[in-house]
Parts: sequence; structure tokens; C-alpha cells
Amino acid sequence: MAITLEQIHYTYSPGTPFARVALQGVTLTIEKGDFVALIGHTGSGKSTLIQQMGGLLQPSEGKASVDGIDLSRKEKEIKAARGKIGIVFQYPEHQLFAETAYEDIAFGPRNLGRSPEETDRAVRRAMAQVGLDFDTFAQRSPFRLSGGQMRRLAIAGVLAMEPAYLILDEPSAGLDPRSRRLFFEQIVKSHKQQGMAIILVTHNMDEAARYAQRLLVINEGKLLYDAPPREIFAKYQKELEEVGLAVPAAARLAAVLRARGVPVPADIITEAELEKFLLTWVKKRGKK
Amino acid sequence: MLEVQGLKHYFTDEQGRTVKALDGIDMHVDDGDYVAVIGESGSGKSTLARHFNALLQPTEGRVLVDGMDTAAEENLWAIRSRVGMVFQNPDNQIVAAIVEEDVAFGPENLGVPQPELGRRVREALAAVGMTAYAQQGPYLLSGGQKQRVAIAGILAMAGRCIVLDEPTAMLDPRGRREVLATVKKLNEEQGITIVYITHDMSEALAAKHVYALEKGKVALAGTPEEVFSETDELERLGLEAPPAGRLAAKLRKAGIKINGNIIRDEELAEALWP
Ligand SMILES: Nc1ncnc2c1ncn2[C@@H]1O[C@H](COP(=O)(O)OP(=O)(O)OP(=O)(O)O)[C@@H](O)[C@H]1O
Ligand SMILES: Nc1ncnc2c1ncn2[C@@H]1O[C@H](COP(=O)(O)OP(=O)(O)OP(=O)(O)O)[C@@H](O)[C@H]1O
Ligand SMILES: [Mg+2]
Ligand SMILES: [Mg+2]
Repeated sequence: MAITLEQIHYTYSPGTPFARVALQGVTLTIEKGDFVALIGHTGSGKSTLIQQMGGLLQPSEGKASVDGIDLSRKEKEIKAARGKIGIVFQYPEHQLFAETAYEDIAFGPRNLGRSPEETDRAVRRAMAQVGLDFDTFAQRSPFRLSGGQMRRLAIAGVLAMEPAYLILDEPSAGLDPRSRRLFFEQIVKSHKQQGMAIILVTHNMDEAARYAQRLLVINEGKLLYDAPPREIFAKYQKELEEVGLAVPAAARLAAVLRARGVPVPADIITEAELEKFLLTWVKKRGKK
Repeated sequence: MLEVQGLKHYFTDEQGRTVKALDGIDMHVDDGDYVAVIGESGSGKSTLARHFNALLQPTEGRVLVDGMDTAAEENLWAIRSRVGMVFQNPDNQIVAAIVEEDVAFGPENLGVPQPELGRRVREALAAVGMTAYAQQGPYLLSGGQKQRVAIAGILAMAGRCIVLDEPTAMLDPRGRREVLATVKKLNEEQGITIVYITHDMSEALAAKHVYALEKGKVALAGTPEEVFSETDELERLGLEAPPAGRLAAKLRKAGIKINGNIIRDEELAEALWP
């Protein structure tokens, strides 16, 4: 059970003066239960890549499949595969369409054939998961919400379908620190309890370091690295900077401390790890 | 430059309930100031921003731009040529079919003649690193690229004040650094007044003053040092201090003595290893 991409190439508007190569031979497999972060400079091909996973774009070359179903087959045959994948798009307003928040979230579960009771439960659960108060927001128009509220609504709509593979394109852009933390707590829970595979596209290196088990780095349409975040952030700081990326804030802070003579290990990439190290270090130093 | 007095803005939602998006804001932004606005989602940041160039009118209170009341129709043109706005979603401000024309749209409307117009467009595109895309269709750009074009459009208008609503939300780390550096340069070298809305506390550090909103009111205001040392209050507001400040607070809670107001990486290093 997996999403597999084999030698995917993709060109937008091929054969026109506006042709733009977006993917150049990407091969990768996302297993059920993976938690993957995908990072890359703007325009590197991340959004294009996830649309290949969801069968929303057909590759110019190569093959994409979900749980063994080839996504180049006819619409009817890939419907089952589509049902397993939920995508939260980069701009949530592109995804919202209904008159009320409630209807917007209910659309997915209804479409999957859930009963009205089940649908109602799914809507309420999803709203609670993203921290949108039911009484305040259920009847609001999606298009008159604040940026962060819209994003949470779009996420709720996808969560309500309980997809096997949840693809999130910059889900935390526009969320304040608390909403961001709550959101990731929910995602980690869905990942752990339901074994939902998570594919997180992000420009936030801290999130990639903290939550993902596996990090994919894409540069100009090619897969550059595929390894655990710790390995990539500790080893390839310079290379990441060269492709427009960076190390997490904690790693940057660790580097500043190291330059001062604090012996912070090279593989510290999250704030919690840095805090733990400093606590022991300061105490040890106090004893000397 | 900007004067906000007792500003309230109420919306009516679909069920006829009143949403108090702004509930009594006082704010003073000097000419050449650099102000960051932070606050939980729904706290009123975008609503406030939209008052600065008269896209929204107060329900109560006043907003003055260089002394001109935004509520007076005859001031509209003068206000919009002074205050430029970069929206939260760049899609909402793309107006032309070619990047270059999109950037030219604002200044052209202000009556900027050639060859000045061409020069401004070129410089603005260069400032955001999008020169290579001048002839592209803006709708075909990636998220971050669109955001840079939107910023270029405002730069080309050469107003005295730029309001940016989460301008780096979709940018990669390099893009963020570049936008921040661009904003800083405009502020320092040309004295352009900046109002910068963000959810990224590290970005707010670059400002001279920070306002934290809560449910349409100002909950905290001051220099970054003042605002970000209020760790408990920030937590309550759904916000947080930048990484060095957070870490310093945690170490202190664990009984480690750390002196001074710490919000920047170097300050923490200095405190730990003087
Ligand atoms: N509809 C389109 N038509 C033509 N070119 C496109 C289209 N969408 C994207 N592109 C181009 O394809 C390339 C990859 O775009 P994509 O949106 O996948 O990047 P991304 O990694 O998601 O970037 P970002 O981080 O800015 O969202 C970019 O050069 C972009 O300009
Ligand atoms: N047209 C509208 N009709 C009704 N309510 C609205 C409208 N526009 C905004 N609101 C409400 O006003 C409040 C403030 O919205 P605003 O967009 O200013 O928040 P914000 O601080 O910018 O949030 P975010 O960080 O999510 O962008 C929110 O609760 C929002 O739902
Ligand atoms: Mg994208
Ligand atoms: Mg907003």
C-alpha cells in the first residue's frame, strides 16, 4: 500500500512559448503510515508534485499510482484511488465553494456516501480538530472569514473525509503560533491513531524538523535528498542554503552558540533538543 | 504618517450577528516608522490594514493618513498614492496578463509617464528577484513568485508607506530573507513607513515597534524588546516569543539564571557564555 511515482516528468503548456518544465524525473514511494515533509525553493515543483500524487495532473512522462491503481487509467477506474487521498491546497480559498462552512465540510463525507448522521458527526469532529467553534462558524460564509479561519476550514473539509493519505500544501501559512501548534497536534494524532500517511509541503524548516520522519528536498524539479530530517539538516547546511532553503531556527541558534564555544552537538535540530542539551550543560558547568 | 483614533469596525455575519473585528484601536505610526502587527487569527489585523488606504471605513473612530481623514471621499486618491498595500493572498491583486504590466498597473494609474514608468518597473522587479519573469503570465507563477510580483507592484508605486499583510507566508527561507531585507532597505534608505503584519515572530523582530492585537483591541505595544519579554502574556494571546526568547524563558523556569532581555540569538549566546 503506497503512492509510487516513477520517473515523473511534467511540463506546463508544452509546445507553447510559455512551456515550463516543472518536474524532471522524480521517483519516490510514500508508504502507508509515513510522515514526510517536502521542502524546496519557490517554484521548485512541490505543488506540481503533489498534484501528480493525487492524479490531478497527468505526468508528461512516467507513471504514478496509488495502492497499485495506475492514475493514468480512466476517471471511473481511479475513483477509488482518489478517495484515499485528501489534499489541502496551498491557497485554501481555491478549495472553498459552498454557501456555509458547514456545507463546505459536509460535501466530502456526503460524496463518499456517508449517512446524514455520520456526515454531521464528521463535520463537528473536523471543526473541533481545527479549532473552529461550531456555533460561531458553522453557518458563516467561507469567503468572509479571516485568512487563518479560511485555511482551517479548508483543512477541516479534508480531515472530514479521513483520507488514507493526507497531503498538506503549506497548511500552516497564515496560522498564528497557537493555531499552528494545535493543528500539528491533531495531525500527529491522526497519523499515530489512524495510521494516516502525512505529506507536508512546507517552507517552515522547524516544522519539517519537528514532525517529519522523512524529508524530501526538491530543487528545480528534481529530488535532491530523501533521508531523515536530522541527517539532512545536520549534514547539508551549505547545500540547503545554496538551493534557497535553510536549517531550522534551533539549528541556527545552536550554530551561534557553538561559535561562542558552547559545545552543542551538530545533530540538534529542534528547540526541545536544544533546551535539553543546554539544561544539562549549564548544570554540569555549574558543578565545575 | 498614520493616526488611528478609537477605531471600531463591525461586520454583520450571515445570521445577522455583529462581529466586532476592531473594537477600539488607538495607534500612532510616525513617518519613517517600521511597525509590526501580530495577533491571533481573527484578531483584526487585515481589517485594520484595510483602513490604512481607505479600503474599509471605520464604524466608529477615525483614521488619518498624513492628517487626511480616510472617510473623506476627496482624500481617496491622495491616500492611495501614499499608502500601498500588499495583500495576504497575491492572487487577489493580480490585474494584468503579463508580470511587467501587472507591476506597471499601479504607477500607471498614478499617472507616472515613460520612461520613468519603465525604470520603476525594472527596478521593482529586480528588487524582488523576478526580472527573468517579466514577460510571463502571473497566473502561471508559483505561490512565492506571485507574492514577489505583488510586492514589486507596490514598490513601483513609490508611495511613502507600505502595508504588507503576511507577505512572506508562501516564500522559501531565501525569499523571506530577501523580502525582509528589501523592506528594511526601503525603510532605512528611503525612509518609507512600513506596517508589517506577520505570524512569524522572528520577522517582527526587525521592526521598531510591535503591536499585538487581541479580539480587535491592542493587547501589547512597544519595542520588540518590550513586547517579546512578556512571555506569559504572549502565550495567553496565542503568540510566542522568538526562539531565543522562548529558550531563555524555559531555562529560567528550570532555575537557570539568565540576565537581561533576551529575544535574539546573539543575546542568548552572550548570556550563556559571557
Ligand atoms: N499552471 C501553470 N502553468 C505554467 N507554469 C506553471 C503553472 N503552475 C506552476 N508553473 C511553474 O512550474 C514551476 C513549479 O511550480 P510549483 O507551483 O509546483 O512550485 P512550488 O514548489 O509549489 O512553489 P511555491 O513554493 O512557490 O508554491 C514554477 O516554475 C512555476 O512557475
Ligand atoms: N466580510 C466579513 N464579514 C463578516 N465577518 C468578517 C468579514 N471579514 C472579516 N470578518 C471577521 O472579522 C474578524 C477579523 O478578521 P481579520 O481578517 O481582520 O483577522 P486577521 O487578524 O487578519 O486574521 P488572520 O490572521 O486569520 O488573517 C474575524 O473574526 C473575521 O471572521
Ligand atoms: Mg506551491
Ligand atoms: Mg489576515
